[in-house]
Amino acid sequence: MTELVGPLSSGRTSVLTLCLRAVTRRGAFAALVDVDHAFDPGSAAAAGVELSRVLWVRGEGRRHDALKAVDLLARCPGFALVALDVGESPPRVPLDAAFRLRQAARRSGVALLVIGARRVVGGAAALSVQTRRDRLAWVGPGPMPRRLAGMRTGLHVVRKQGAPWPVAETECLWWTA
Amino acid sequence: MVDRVSRLACVRVEAFVAAALERCEPGLREHPLAVVTGAPPATRVVEANTRARAEGVRAGLTDAEAVVRCPTLVRRPASAEAEAAARHALLEACLSVSPRIEDAGPGLVHVDLDGLGQLFRDDAEIGRRLRRQAKAVGLEARVGIAGSRAAAGVAARVGPPVHTLAPGTEGAALAAVPLATLEWPAALPATFVRWGLATLGDLAALPRHGVGARLGRAGLVAHDLATGVDRTPFRTWTPPPFWEEAQGLDWEILTVPALVPVLERVLGRLCTRLVAAHLLIDVLQVRLALVSGGHHARSVALAAPLGEAAPIVALLALEIEAHPPPAAVTGVALSARVIPRRAAPGGLWHPPVPAPRDLATVLTRLTLLVGSANVGTPVVVDSHRPDDYTLGPFDGADLVPDAAAGADGDSAGERAARGSAGPIALRRLRPPRPVEVETRDGRPTRVRDTSGLDVVVETCAGPWRLSGHWWDTHAWAHDEWDVALSDHTIWRLSHDRLTDTWFLTALYD
Repeated sequence: MTELVGPLSSGRTSVLTLCLRAVTRRGAFAALVDVDHAFDPGSAAAAGVELSRVLWVRGEGRRHDALKAVDLLARCPGFALVALDVGESPPRVPLDAAFRLRQAARRSGVALLVIGARRVVGGAAALSVQTRRDRLAWVGPGPMPRRLAGMRTGLHVVRKQGAPWPVAETECLWWTA
Repeated sequence: MVDRVSRLACVRVEAFVAAALERCEPGLREHPLAVVTGAPPATRVVEANTRARAEGVRAGLTDAEAVVRCPTLVRRPASAEAEAAARHALLEACLSVSPRIEDAGPGLVHVDLDGLGQLFRDDAEIGRRLRRQAKAVGLEARVGIAGSRAAAGVAARVGPPVHTLAPGTEGAALAAVPLATLEWPAALPATFVRWGLATLGDLAALPRHGVGARLGRAGLVAHDLATGVDRTPFRTWTPPPFWEEAQGLDWEILTVPALVPVLERVLGRLCTRLVAAHLLIDVLQVRLALVSGGHHARSVALAAPLGEAAPIVALLALEIEAHPPPAAVTGVALSARVIPRRAAPGGLWHPPVPAPRDLATVLTRLTLLVGSANVGTPVVVDSHRPDDYTLGPFDGADLVPDAAAGADGDSAGERAARGSAGPIALRRLRPPRPVEVETRDGRPTRVRDTSGLDVVVETCAGPWRLSGHWWDTHAWAHDEWDVALSDHTIWRLSHDRLTDTWFLTALYD
């Protein structure tokens, strides 16, 4: 179970899309539980995600139903990735429930990815990564740019199971618009 | 005369009306069975199975006469639904052997064997295969194989269960068949006796036009049968687009738990047929005949196509529990919309995929949890309109790892070489959030809304002008801007030029 947290426009959804792309491009299947109905199929397809290999479950704001949906999917062997996008108002996940979810995913061989504005599964996550926007690039002459060129996201590991705290691992990803 | 095919088989099920009922209730095969019609005291036997015929029960007897001849006789009312279902099942069974078959009537199918010699060793093997396929759908059939449909039909009525007439020997074989062993229209047997005819050979020796002049059309048909000549074209049967199975009940069912075993039997038969045809159920419609004379119909769209009866019965029971019939049930009819079954994944190096049964269960539970409209596969619509997509079914039949997976032209390595991990993803706001926008020289400078958002636009790029459907009433026209706001967020801002309103439509994230 991996947790990916960060503020708006920090690049966390782009990282999720990158994961979906990696999974579907190698022929496996992914499931996305989308609490806020925010997933954009158009930009995902443009990023190379094979949408026919993605099961999209829309929570329509019902956060506890979304957690139940993730629990069901985590117990279904065969999905390479089950992602939960909790959006900007993450639900409270009891620690025992988070650990049960982790155990279910481990038994099924499913990779769980939780993305949101803040951490919700706490110590149950084997890896917690914070996204921060480092740089924003526009192109065009003078003070009036013509278009958004790209964005750089810094990925900072805030918790890694088995590693001493604080963990000082950082990586940067560059996204194009 | 049409004689385009070289070898033909006739698949025949004796006492088909009774066989159709036995197919619905296999236990009836162990008992003498009579199919009856009409209300007492005018109830008459329509047909009897082999055991009942051995006891002297014949079509046309009254119910009382039949019971006197066979005290252990089991009587069942004729069921048109069961007969139609059995007829289709027999046709589909034959279709699994040859692509060219003809529906010659209830319990009678002609099969064109042309070209099957490359798949089967000889005609007898084809005949055995046809019998096995018919038995798989619950029907005991006899098979005759000859050079014409007429000769094959006679061969299917006499001799062993798989009766093959070698090419060139049909005439001699038919000539020896007694007329009394075949079924004729009512007036013909007496005429044959009066004329002193005992075998088909005797009838074939008569001039055809003379028989036709004296006996009319029935005589001509009888003469063609005796000579083994086909004079009608082979009318190829194609399977109907809907797969149906039905069962009439001679008792009333009031509760769903009591209805489940009936649904299991009917659906089991339907699934057996679909498995033989390599098909899966996508949508299932159930039509319950009610004691009041009406019908109660429900439709179940499966989240994943299935070919197994057990999980579908559970779904049907849930659907009927949620929408119970208004009166007692006296008949069940199921109709399935089907899709082809795809090859199963089997590559050693392919990533694992969910098992169809597990996936169907999970999809069903997800559907119950969040609604069928919120579970599926995103499909981007080929349109210029932003955020135009639909949600298609997550097709379990597509669960085959792509052999070309990883053969991505724009690979991660190439992206890395360019220094980019990919395009920035968007998070959509559905519905778009209306905002008030201050502009200067046509460019947005400040964004605010009623929920307290009030931010300065630090940088913006645009506009990108989009429009569509200007030719009808759904016309739309947007100007889109990419804006970086002072709260460190980057949005896609849209100006509806038709209504002069602004919306935040998506967030770059």
